[in-house]
Amino acid sequence: MEIESNFGNLVEVEMGKEIYEGILLPSPDSGTFLLKLENGYNIGFNKKEVLKIKVIKKINEKTKEFSPPFSKDKKNVAMIITGGTIAARLNPEKGGVDWLTTPSTLFRFYPELFEKVNIKKIEVPFMKASEDMDYKDWQKIAKVSSQLLNDPEIEGVVITHGTDFLHYTSSALSFFLRNLNKPVVLTYSQRSVDRGSSDANLNLVCSAFAATSDIAQVMLVGHATTNDDFCFAMPGTKVRKMHSSKRDAFKIVNSLPIAKVFPEKIEKLSEYNLRNKNKVILDSKFEEKVALVKVYPGQNPNILDYYYKEGYKGIVLELSGLGHAPTERARMGWTKKLTEVQKKGLIVCAAPQTIYGRLDPLVYSNGRELLETGIIYLEDMLAETAYVKLGWVLGHKEWSTSRDKVADKMLENFAGEINKRLVD
Amino acid sequence: MEINYKEIGFKAGLEIHQQLDTHKLFCECPSVLRNDLPLAVVKRRIHAVAGESGEVDVAAKFQSDEKKEFSYQTYDTTCLVELDEEPPHKLNLEALNTTLEIALLLNCKVFPMTQIMRKTIVNGSNTSGFQRTVLIARGGYIETSGGKVGINSIYLEEDSARPIERNSDSTIYRLDRLGIPLVEISTDPDLKSSVQVKEAALKIGEILRSTRVRRGIGTIRQDLNISIKGSNRVEIKGFQDPKIMEKCVENEVLRQKSFLDRKEKNPSEVRNCLPDGTTEFLRPIPGSARMYPETDLPVLHISRELINQVKKNLPKLKEEIEEELRKDGLDGEMIKLILKSNKLEKYKELYEINGNPKLISKVLLLFPKEIAKKEKKSLEEIEEILSHDVLLFLLESVYKEKIQERDLKHVMEKIVSGVSAKEAIKLEKEDFLDLEEKIMKIIKEKSGLSANAYMGLVMKEFKGKISGEDAMKVINKFLK
Repeated sequence: MEIESNFGNLVEVEMGKEIYEGILLPSPDSGTFLLKLENGYNIGFNKKEVLKIKVIKKINEKTKEFSPPFSKDKKNVAMIITGGTIAARLNPEKGGVDWLTTPSTLFRFYPELFEKVNIKKIEVPFMKASEDMDYKDWQKIAKVSSQLLNDPEIEGVVITHGTDFLHYTSSALSFFLRNLNKPVVLTYSQRSVDRGSSDANLNLVCSAFAATSDIAQVMLVGHATTNDDFCFAMPGTKVRKMHSSKRDAFKIVNSLPIAKVFPEKIEKLSEYNLRNKNKVILDSKFEEKVALVKVYPGQNPNILDYYYKEGYKGIVLELSGLGHAPTERARMGWTKKLTEVQKKGLIVCAAPQTIYGRLDPLVYSNGRELLETGIIYLEDMLAETAYVKLGWVLGHKEWSTSRDKVADKMLENFAGEINKRLVD
Repeated sequence: MEINYKEIGFKAGLEIHQQLDTHKLFCECPSVLRNDLPLAVVKRRIHAVAGESGEVDVAAKFQSDEKKEFSYQTYDTTCLVELDEEPPHKLNLEALNTTLEIALLLNCKVFPMTQIMRKTIVNGSNTSGFQRTVLIARGGYIETSGGKVGINSIYLEEDSARPIERNSDSTIYRLDRLGIPLVEISTDPDLKSSVQVKEAALKIGEILRSTRVRRGIGTIRQDLNISIKGSNRVEIKGFQDPKIMEKCVENEVLRQKSFLDRKEKNPSEVRNCLPDGTTEFLRPIPGSARMYPETDLPVLHISRELINQVKKNLPKLKEEIEEELRKDGLDGEMIKLILKSNKLEKYKELYEINGNPKLISKVLLLFPKEIAKKEKKSLEEIEEILSHDVLLFLLESVYKEKIQERDLKHVMEKIVSGVSAKEAIKLEKEDFLDLEEKIMKIIKEKSGLSANAYMGLVMKEFKGKISGEDAMKVINKFLK
């Protein structure tokens, strides 16, 4: 009795006296399978209890490929598809997930995307959930982006991506793509595309629109609120996933939106780098041995020894409040250990655990004590951005020669990662 | 005109949607409808999603042709799940239990393994763009005087959002109803006459009401599928009252027949039943809606143990309950009242505390009504003060002889006037002592009168605050 090979076929399932007819589907539970009945409902069976499965009709899959509309009056945009909910679709006929990576599947699910722009090119460097990505994937995306950005026929790039670690990628691209000339827009969806309520439609339409704008920055474009009315264009180094499920999961931290993006207009809200004729330079060197560690009450500072022994070159500590860790007065103080590992050459940076606000180690004696150990305080930089930036800075041999050089570079504002003027 | 149903090849099936009396199906929000101002309004759009083959469902297209904007009113009794901003929580097991009860009472076979599905809905009444629904059982029947009527399937699903205002390019919905558990029962097309349609609807209604379902307007919706030989199937919605069903069926048969008489065929459509039993066009009949799995939730396993447990505790049908209450010594009027006001559960709980059915029915039904009338307050207000806990306490106090049965109403009145239950039963005792003192005083002041003469004086003094019986007891006590 072959089950797996008949997924998608119309079958008769015999179970005791009962016979059920429907389309055979895989089940998420092992040892079972599903049957889509004529009324559309799926019911399940234990493989062991089934006497016989008879194939009534083989269903042959027809997917017609066709070219989506193209018009000389519309601007050309390129897409980089990397995976995530926005590019995934459950196949209800056969079970499992289909990736939407061809122009015709994209058109079928997001027809509105093609109303505003021509999707001139689609690049698929890999298909991954964002939590499975690391710096090597950022490097691939950056490479493809730089090629597309240097193509005179392309106005801007839209990158679709999973949401979980999207803000790491947006940070990485902000540092990796030097001399930026055109918009680089990252977008996502929190609700799958098979539902009528998917947030992907608005996000994609607004992203395509933003990609044709004069904003030559790496930005994340997505729902500004829970409403389906407009998106924010958010600076790539100042954005963070702040909700596990809502449409407006991404929030700008310590900065302002670049623009409000509606499907039909853009309202600019702050200064930005203008579209220009530069040639983009790819600068994606990265030091893998970098860590991000959150400091918590009672934590043993010996954790730093582990990173040192493992050959780590740099570490970003998420410190409490204005920039504190347990000091000499604590039962398990960090001051000595911090001095020790930095002397041995480990670079230690600090980013705010509070997420919002700027670090200032000078206000309290505890902060001053830690500052003396040599920690590089990164002002209002997001911890995630700090992690990416530290890897990027240490990836440059010419910068990683000394602690002071690294400190200089970490505090140099490359891509708006530091905001000197925080407003409420 | 008398209709010969057999001759015209009449076929009808019922589809009944009944709300269950529990919290929402996929979140912990209470199932309460709100009529106050919303906390916030959320704006969304719904896109028609093409199926694999690229074609869009006929009904879906009909409703989504215009690009409509949908507004959703939120309350402190709705959460991110109704807003389509959080994945569904685990299926409400209380709702599943009730559905299983209904399935078993309707003699259905329960599926041991079944998948929660998403049924595509594009009119905006579901924030997600689909309705979550799961097939629970099939293959049952009910008995009617015209023979067995097959129960085709039983589904458990989430109710849709309430439309509040429809405009040409937008609709405002209220999220309070979205997600309330709904059982859908569809019969086979076995119904052979308008009389049988009504009988089956009433019978299923009665079975539903023996389980934990919501009561009142809008908590049950009945749809009818009707065709006669040679005609197209028509679905009729919006029966407010089963009484109208019979007339509506007759009208629809005549309407379909008039097409055939003109050598035409009636369109296959959904029609709305009007209060006078006629119908009006609502929309085309939807093609089979696109259904795909709810991947945010695991496959639902309904174990043999669970089914057996439900079987053991199956609720009694109305007739059985009536018989039991009659054995308790209640009269028909009171039994009717208890069932009608949906207070059987409360009655039973009070019965556990104080096994005096007549007293319980008074405390539960008569006194609150009388007090409401006297105080010129609504019964709801009175029942809110005289809560179930208060009644439990009072009946317990009677049982423990802390207060007299005859004082109960007076105590309840005091509680309604703002005295706490504990204080009220204490006061009642003091009042009685106070009463004795006063009567003694009256007797001392005018000595030598007959008991009846004192009675007159006492009753005048107390102006009906005490019963004659009580007064006489005290008078006799002092005259001895």
